[in-house]
Amino acid sequence: MIEILLILFAPILGGLVYGFERVVRARMQNRQGPPLLQPFYDMYKLIDKQSFIVNPYHSILGVMHFLTLWAVVAFVILGGNLLYIVFLHLLSVIFIILAGFSVNSIYSHIGSNRELLATLAYEPVLVMLSVGFFMLNGSFDISVIREHTSSIFPLFLLFLAFLLVIPIKLKKSPFDASEAHQEIVGGVEIEFSGVFFEFIYMAKWLEYVFIYLLLLLFAGNNIILGAGLAVAVFFLVNLVDNSTARVKMVHLVKIVLGIGVTLGMLNLLGLGYV
Amino acid sequence: MFDLKKYRKKSPWILHYNAGSCNGCDIEILACLSPKYDLERFGVINTGNPKQSDIFLVTGPVTFRTRERLVELYTQMPEPKVVIAVGSCACTGCVFRDMYNVEVGIDRYIPVDVYVPGCASSPELIIDGVVKGLEILEQKTKEMEKPFKLFKEATTDDGIVNRRHSALKVGEDDAKD
Ligand code: SF4
Repeated sequence: MIEILLILFAPILGGLVYGFERVVRARMQNRQGPPLLQPFYDMYKLIDKQSFIVNPYHSILGVMHFLTLWAVVAFVILGGNLLYIVFLHLLSVIFIILAGFSVNSIYSHIGSNRELLATLAYEPVLVMLSVGFFMLNGSFDISVIREHTSSIFPLFLLFLAFLLVIPIKLKKSPFDASEAHQEIVGGVEIEFSGVFFEFIYMAKWLEYVFIYLLLLLFAGNNIILGAGLAVAVFFLVNLVDNSTARVKMVHLVKIVLGIGVTLGMLNLLGLGYV
Repeated sequence: MFDLKKYRKKSPWILHYNAGSCNGCDIEILACLSPKYDLERFGVINTGNPKQSDIFLVTGPVTFRTRERLVELYTQMPEPKVVIAVGSCACTGCVFRDMYNVEVGIDRYIPVDVYVPGCASSPELIIDGVVKGLEILEQKTKEMEKPFKLFKEATTDDGIVNRRHSALKVGEDDAKD
């Protein structure tokens, strides 16, 4: 029962996290910041706006992106197979990339290209993460992983690699070149408007839920450790976001593939020997 | 059923366009978004994307080069929307009035809802202007508003649509009237 409720309210939960994050970010810059419920005000406003449809496929792919992401979050909450979840999440990213390529805007194309490159960089880390959990727990099932004790120490290097992935997925500096509002005006989301942009906006919230749920897997059955981990990573990511500049796409791929995959490989090799 | 219109003024997203201004006013607009004045506490985001914004902040007198883009950006914004002319240039032409390459204010091309005077207008005035604009935004309907001087027919060069000469020149007869 509680799982069904969690799944239904996952976007709202993500919206609250996003709103809280905007407040935290403003406070870090010594500003007052928007109210906590600001994302929902934005949402109501977007329902009320006229929406331009560039072409039907573009809009539908945007909605599909949101729906698949919701399915991903649902599977994580229900305790599905981690490897399936990683690939289903890849499918949702593919939808938004296709949407970006389906219109004629150059910014949209650049955004899609960058999104593809970013996916290329972080996907190996996510796959290695699930392999690491498999070697430790003997199963890809999230429900099994949740019952075991915390795996943060045996998977510490993979945890560090995962920390590199978080800013890419949440579109935070230094790894936000695929969105880059000042440069390519949001990349793939540029041609969405009105209700259809709202789906993209809510997909962004679901991305928060997905990433933090993955993070909680490291804590296993230790709830206190999980809460501590989530809060610590939340503040770390925002601190880094506020204090660093954006890196170029080439460097993003080099850093994440170079450091992330090396750390992951070392960890997996180590697990194989123990 | 709650009233969605109420939420319009809680999340105004801004599109800022420089129609040939001297950058004095643009710097003041950026100052509004800085920590000191912090426009974001009203939910304002500077999106830079016409398809997702509600408020169109225009600075500068309209130069010949910027007219088509001004009208183009205006038509790309979904309704309901509000246009705010920031600075004396955008209102009347200011010191550039009657120069050979400049129009007298943006209201020759698009309907303006709020005029914010000053050369350069101060951040406090701009915030007042935006807040006034929000009141107007609440009353607007989703009816399309037409720019005054829309395009003449766009020409095609080598199969590519060219809008460069599609705005009317000053004093030119409007075939649509
Ligand atoms: S009003 Fe003054 S400061 Fe603003 S653009 Fe015109 S000349 Fe520059």
